[in-house]
Amino acid sequence: MMRFIRPRLRKPLLRGIALLGIACAWVIGSRTWEPAIVIAIVAVGQTVYRYIWAGEDTDESALQGSRADERQKQVGLRARALSGSVALAAAYIGVVITLAVKRADAWPFAALLAVTGFAYLLGLSSYGSGEPGPEDEVTAGHQTRSPLSS
Amino acid sequence: MASEQGRGGLRASDADREQAIEVLKAAFVRDRLAGAEFEARVGQALASRTYAELAAATDGIPGTLTADTPPGMPARVRKQRTQREMSQGDLAEALGVSRQTVISIESGRYLPSLPLAFAIARFFDVTVDKMFGPDEEKARAR
Repeated sequence: MMRFIRPRLRKPLLRGIALLGIACAWVIGSRTWEPAIVIAIVAVGQTVYRYIWAGEDTDESALQGSRADERQKQVGLRARALSGSVALAAAYIGVVITLAVKRADAWPFAALLAVTGFAYLLGLSSYGSGEPGPEDEVTAGHQTRSPLSS
Repeated sequence: MASEQGRGGLRASDADREQAIEVLKAAFVRDRLAGAEFEARVGQALASRTYAELAAATDGIPGTLTADTPPGMPARVRKQRTQREMSQGDLAEALGVSRQTVISIESGRYLPSLPLAFAIARFFDVTVDKMFGPDEEKARAR
């Protein structure tokens, strides 16, 4: 489905849909339309703004417009890693504070902590080398050194 | 000081002028001199008759800077690009990367991946080793 959408529009549209999801949840939960309409207007506005922003000549715009090169992808990856670390730390602080103040409300933070921790382990198993392969016969039992390191 | 002044009045040889031009070239390759200033200083060096005039042509450039020491990778990329009179945007377009990435490579803030390094070397028709290899003096020092 994403193939039919212009790369520049993909991420802005996804974020707009995410915001619309919050608006829908509000309507289902509280049965009031006004805040949901405001959220929907914000969703449309930010989609248009992000689409225009994605056309500029910066690293952020390239990431936003799904046309990042290898360095920009690396920048995006590092930014995501940082946001993940911050989310993990925030969840931990949330658990500690809510446990100290009011025990009953700690579970959302604990769930977030568990999910981010699990995602980290999943990342290690997915992107790591996995199980070690059989040792090469030529180098079996020998310590090989790079000629550059000698 | 008196001896320096005395030497400054001596006539410079062709070899001295060539040596001064080599220093200027090395400074230009390392972006220590702009193109216009480089040309002006080379002209000044060629027209120099005495050591004092030659010293004025290379004034402000470190004496350790010589053409024997190859420039680092960022300067090599920049040199190849400027030799072909290309803008950073032109090079970025030819390599299929962003202009910011070319700027980062030329400023030494980003080391390209192997595929991009090969693409750059192929584009400039040089070997990867020549373009991205370590400085010979540094490699020898290790």
